[in-house]
Amino acid sequence: MIRPFPTAVFLRRISSSIRTGLAAIVACSLLAGCRTETKVDVATREKILLLGNGGEPKALDPHIVSSVGDANILRAMFEGLVTYHPSNDMLHEPGVAERWESNEDFSEWRFFLRKNAKWSNGDPVTAHDFVYAYNRILHPDMAAPYASMLYFLKNGEAYNKREIEDFSKVGVKAVNDFELVCTLESPAPYFPDVVKHTTWLPVHRPTIESFGKMTDPYTEWQKPGNSVSNGAFYLTDWRINAYVKVRPNPYYWDKESVKPKGINFYPLDNVFTEEKAFRNDLIHYTYTMPQNLIERYKEMENSPLRIETYAGVYFYRCNVTRPPMDNLDFRKALAYSINQETIVKYVTMGGQQPAYGFTPPSEAGYDPPNVVKFDPDKAKEHLKKAGYSNGAEVPEFTIIINTSEAHKSIAVAIQDMWKKTLGIEKVKIENQEWKVFQQTVHDVNYEVSRAGWIGDYVDPNTFLSMWVSNDSNNNTGWSNADYDRLMKESGRISDPKERYKKMKEAESVLLEELPVLPIYWYTRVYLLHPDVKNWNPLLLDNHPYKHIDLIAD
Amino acid sequence: MPIAAQRNGNVIEKGSSLGRDAWLRLKKNHLAMASLWFFVGVVFLCFLLPLFPGISDPNITHPDLQSMPALSSATSMENAEVSYFLGSDHLGRDIFSRMLHGGRVSLAVGFLATAVSLTIGVIYGAVSGYVGGRTDSIMMRIVDILYALPFMIIVIILTTYFGNKLWLLFVCIGAVEWLTMARIVRGQVNSLKNQEFVEAARSMGLSQSRIIFRHLIPNTVGPVIVYTTLTVPAVMRLEAILSFLGLGVQPPNASWGSLIKEGADRMASDPGLLVYPAILFGLTLFSLNFLGDGLRDALDPKSSKD
Repeated sequence: MIRPFPTAVFLRRISSSIRTGLAAIVACSLLAGCRTETKVDVATREKILLLGNGGEPKALDPHIVSSVGDANILRAMFEGLVTYHPSNDMLHEPGVAERWESNEDFSEWRFFLRKNAKWSNGDPVTAHDFVYAYNRILHPDMAAPYASMLYFLKNGEAYNKREIEDFSKVGVKAVNDFELVCTLESPAPYFPDVVKHTTWLPVHRPTIESFGKMTDPYTEWQKPGNSVSNGAFYLTDWRINAYVKVRPNPYYWDKESVKPKGINFYPLDNVFTEEKAFRNDLIHYTYTMPQNLIERYKEMENSPLRIETYAGVYFYRCNVTRPPMDNLDFRKALAYSINQETIVKYVTMGGQQPAYGFTPPSEAGYDPPNVVKFDPDKAKEHLKKAGYSNGAEVPEFTIIINTSEAHKSIAVAIQDMWKKTLGIEKVKIENQEWKVFQQTVHDVNYEVSRAGWIGDYVDPNTFLSMWVSNDSNNNTGWSNADYDRLMKESGRISDPKERYKKMKEAESVLLEELPVLPIYWYTRVYLLHPDVKNWNPLLLDNHPYKHIDLIAD
Repeated sequence: MPIAAQRNGNVIEKGSSLGRDAWLRLKKNHLAMASLWFFVGVVFLCFLLPLFPGISDPNITHPDLQSMPALSSATSMENAEVSYFLGSDHLGRDIFSRMLHGGRVSLAVGFLATAVSLTIGVIYGAVSGYVGGRTDSIMMRIVDILYALPFMIIVIILTTYFGNKLWLLFVCIGAVEWLTMARIVRGQVNSLKNQEFVEAARSMGLSQSRIIFRHLIPNTVGPVIVYTTLTVPAVMRLEAILSFLGLGVQPPNASWGSLIKEGADRMASDPGLLVYPAILFGLTLFSLNFLGDGLRDALDPKSSKD
C-alpha cells in the first residue's frame, strides 16, 4: 500500500464513467421501447411498401417488358383504360376510362375517358396518348416482344408484320380527346380484361420523342427524372441491382385514395437472400420462397407464408429447329420421362400441381387435355423411334435456366430423370443472368430452355395464342398450320363453350407436337409481412398497389 | 581416435544432399509432417475411394429421400436401397460422394492451375532476371501492370466470354497466378547469375537457354517449391470463390466451392450441407499452408540455424 490514493481515485473515476454510460444506455433503450426499430417498422410508419421483385428490370417501358417482375413496377407507374380489382380477377375497376361499352357481338368497344386523368408532369391523358402507344408497340421497327397482345385490334397483326403501312387502318381511333374506339379482329367478350395488361398502357408522346424517335427502344426516357407516367406513382429513383423507387404522382386523378406513400422494388433474384431479407425485416413481401423452408414456415404460428392458386405454367421450351430437338419422337421421349409428380411433391414442394397439359385448369370453365403423363415405357419406345437404340447415343444438348436455385434444382432433377429413364448422359445445364436469358430465348439460341408463363387475363387464349406461328412469345421455332387454323377459328366464335372446344382441339395439337415439355402448374408461394393490409389472393397476382395499406400489426 | 581414422581411410563418408537435409529438417516439424500425411490422405480419398462400388454416383437423385441424416439408409420410391454416410441434400444426392467428387475437381484445379502458373512464372522470371537491363525492366513493368488489374474481374470476363468450361478455369486461374512466381524467380536468378558456377558455364561457351534451364532454374527450386505449396491452396480458394459466384463448375457437378455455396444457401434447414464440405476444405487448406511453411523452414538453411 505504497500509493493507494491515486489508484483508488482512478478506479473510482472509471467506475463512475461506466455507471453514467450504463445509465445512458438504459435510458435510451427505455425511450426506444424494448427493441430497435427495423427497416420494415420504419417503412410501415412512413407507409413505404418494400417489395422483393425477382430479377433486375429489363426496362421500364411498357412496350419492351415481358416479365412479371417488370410488369409489377409498370402497374404502379402507369394506368390503363381499365385496371385490376383488388380482390377479384373477374371484376374491372375503371382506370383512365370512366366507363365503356361494346356493340352487340363484342367486336367494337368504346371507352369514355375521364377528363381529370393527368400525367405525372401535369399534362392531361387523352385518347390520342393511347392511339400513339398502340402505334408504337405495333410498329414493326419497334420489334416489341409482346406486340402480339395487340393483335386483338383489327389489322394489328398486319401492321406489325408490315403487310400494311398505314396505321389509320388499324382498329383504334380517338373520336375526340376523351373517347377511344377499338375495333377488334374478332369478337372478344373479355376485352376489358385484356386492356388491363401492361402492353395496353399509354405512353407520353412528348417525353418519348424528346429522347429519340417513336420506335427507338431503350432510350433515356425511361430513366428517373425523364420518365413521365400516368399511374398512382411515378419513378423517382432506379439503381441497377439495388432498387427501383416510385413515389405518389401528385397529378394522379384519384390521389386521395392512394394509400402507400411510395413503393421500393428490390431485385433479389436469389431466393435464399430474399428469404433472409424478409426474416431480418428488410422487406414486406417476397417474390419467391425457398423450397427447403416451406415446411418450417408452415409450422409457424401466424405464419407469413402464403400459398395461393396462380394461373401459370412452368415448362421447358424445345428449340424445334435444332437437333436433337427437331425430332418429334425425341421430344416425346423427353416429355414422357419427366415425372411431374415427383417434381411437385419433392422438389418444388409449394402445393403446385403436376402439369399434364399446358393451360392451367383454373381457367374459367376450360378443361385442358391431360395427355402428357410420366410413362417410362412409352418414353423408351419413342427414343427408339427417334433412331437412338439407347440414351448414350443422344448427342450433347444444354438446358438453359436463369440463375435461381429453384430452377437449378428442377433442372438437375429432370436431367437425372432423363438419365435414369432413357440413359441420356450428355445433358448440360447452363445458367444465365435474367436479362441475358431473356435475350437468348428471344433469339431462339438454345436447345432446351426453362420457361414459365403467367396468364395475362382469365381466358385460355392467353396461354394458347403464343404458340401460333411466329408469335413474338413463341420462341421455339415451332409452327403448325392446323394449330394456327384452329386458333383462328376459335377467335371467330362468340359462344364460350364452342370456343373452348376449338381451343381444346388446338391444345391437343400442341401437346401432340410437344414444342414444350409441361412440368407443373404454378402456385404463388411467398411471404407477406402482417403489416401489409388489403393484399388479397389473386389468380393473376396483379395487385393494384394504390389500395394496399400499411398499418403496424 | 584411431578407429575413426581407420574408417576414414577406407570409406568415404556418404555426403548428405541438400534435399536429404531438407527432408530431415522437415521430418522434425511435426505439424508439417502431419499436414503432409493428411493432404496425401485427402488426395487418395478423393481420387481412389470413388472407384469402389460402395460409393454412389454423386449426381444420382432420389428426390423422395431428401435431407436424410448422416449414417442412414432407406429405400427410394424406385426401390433402390440407398445409404448415406453423411446424409443427403435437397435432391437426395449423397453428400459424402459429392464431397469426394467435388474434391477431385478442386484438387485438380489446384494442381493444374498451379502447374500453369509455375511454368509461365518460372520461365518468365528466369529470362527476365538473367537477361537483365532494359528487357528486365520492360518485362517486370508488364508484370506490374498485370498486378494492378483487378484479377477477379479478369477471370469473370474470361469465363463469360469463353463460356463456363472447366479447362478454361484452369487456364484462367493459372494465367493470373504466375505473377508473384515470376518475381520470386527473377529475384533469385538476379542474385545467382553473377556467381562463379554461372561464370564457369558461360566461359565454357554454353548457350543462354542452356544456362537458364540447366544451371539457374534448378538452383531456384527451394523458393519455388515453397511458393508452389502456398499457391495450391490460394488457387483452390479462388476456384471456391468462383464457384460460389456461380462461375466455376456447372451443375450437376460439384466442387468444394459449389458445395459450400449450396450448403450456405440451405444452412437454415440442413446445416450438414455446409458444415461437412467446409470442414474438409478448411482442413485441406490449413494442411497445405502448414506444409508450405514447413518446407520454407526446411529448404532455407538460414532460418533453420536456430
